[in-house]
Amino acid sequence: MIVHDDAGELLAAMALHAVEHDEAVEIEAHVAQCPRCQNELDGLRELASALGNSVEMLPEGLWSSIASRLAERTPRAAIAAPSLAPVGAGAATSVASVTSITAARAASPRRGRSLYVGFVAAAAASILALGIGLVNANNHVVFLQGALSAANVGVVQAALDTPGHKVVNLHNAQHQRIAQFVMLPDGRGYLVNSSLPVLSSKDTYQLWGTVNGSPVSLGVMGRSPHEVAFTMVSTTAPSALSVTVQTTGGSLLPSKDLAATGTV
Amino acid sequence: MDDLNDVSDAQLVMMVARFDEVALAEIYRRHGGAVFGLARRVLHNGSEAEDVTQEIFLRLWNQPEKFDATRGSLRSFLLTQSHARAVDMVRSLSARHRREVNDASRTARAGYDMQHEAWDLMLADEVQRALRELPEEERRAIELAYFDGHTYVQVAEILNEPEGTIKSRIRNGMRRMRGVLIESGVEGAER
Repeated sequence: MIVHDDAGELLAAMALHAVEHDEAVEIEAHVAQCPRCQNELDGLRELASALGNSVEMLPEGLWSSIASRLAERTPRAAIAAPSLAPVGAGAATSVASVTSITAARAASPRRGRSLYVGFVAAAAASILALGIGLVNANNHVVFLQGALSAANVGVVQAALDTPGHKVVNLHNAQHQRIAQFVMLPDGRGYLVNSSLPVLSSKDTYQLWGTVNGSPVSLGVMGRSPHEVAFTMVSTTAPSALSVTVQTTGGSLLPSKDLAATGTV
Repeated sequence: MDDLNDVSDAQLVMMVARFDEVALAEIYRRHGGAVFGLARRVLHNGSEAEDVTQEIFLRLWNQPEKFDATRGSLRSFLLTQSHARAVDMVRSLSARHRREVNDASRTARAGYDMQHEAWDLMLADEVQRALRELPEEERRAIELAYFDGHTYVQVAEILNEPEGTIKSRIRNGMRRMRGVLIESGVEGAER
């Protein structure tokens, strides 16, 4: 076992990943029980990362590649969405939350494979008869773009000019059209226009596709959606698109108010 | 999606823990360029750097609890992982043989939060300036270790110096860099 002084001599090299594997293991073991060295190493790592901090343009398609593998790598768990800490909340609070959440998702790794729930309608409204299931990872649809690249007018127009596109009109409970999407044969889709009312900062709109009778999240749209892009990688086209109101951050399952829905 | 602009990195990681792809996408948007940039700099290969970037973000997706916000920034966490993985690849012979020179220009990208982005890049500029101001032998040892992925033992062989000397140069150089940063008022260097 490496002693404190020897470990201290190697911390700088450790922060640069310039020690041999065996040494790294020993140093890690030491710092795990030596707060002083841990603090020193954290500071050196911060310094080292600043040394290598330059920003490059990201390659086209890299995010799509990552996003397409999210579902296959992790079994989905149905986790009750905890209320989010306010922006700027203490780091320790956030870390504790991450730990508890990951513990929760690890504890119920299989529940997400086939859950069926219903949309919960607004207070006075009747429960909507939409059978919903969480489509797992390996199955069908992955939200790809979302926050990354909002669809601009040109992209939307190009989609509308693409042969084989479908326009999906979403209506609210009063049968008023309040959102319109365009979907392309290759699975991409964009919000064309929306008159969805602005939500409070605690809520967000979330878009769902119904695939084989089950709802699949296509992404969180924000509380005042204007630019939304998504990609379906399913071999089965969705039979409907729906928008729900969820707590900020979204949900794995549509659990709150249905704002609009429309058949594809 | 504008909402996420105001969400802190720590909170985004918490959302990732709830399998929120949009949160991961936002983290990628904020820090992906830096993760990719560092991997590319170490590997001199865009394709391998893409592999590293993909692996780092999938790792965050699968193990968000590994990030401890009390120990440093998310960018630092991701860059540390990116560098470690890139160095692993460099140290494998197959990767080393495939290294190629690439003078691709770097372009700073407008980011999630201009203040954060500007701060990160300013810190990087200060650190890189501090590196340039180091005595030649210390700067060389750090560059060979960090940007070329060599261990201090390998650096000692390359420079034909005793291992202890190289350890000292790296340690003294890092301390000196931190001192320069503290003197210039860059708080991020203090700990």
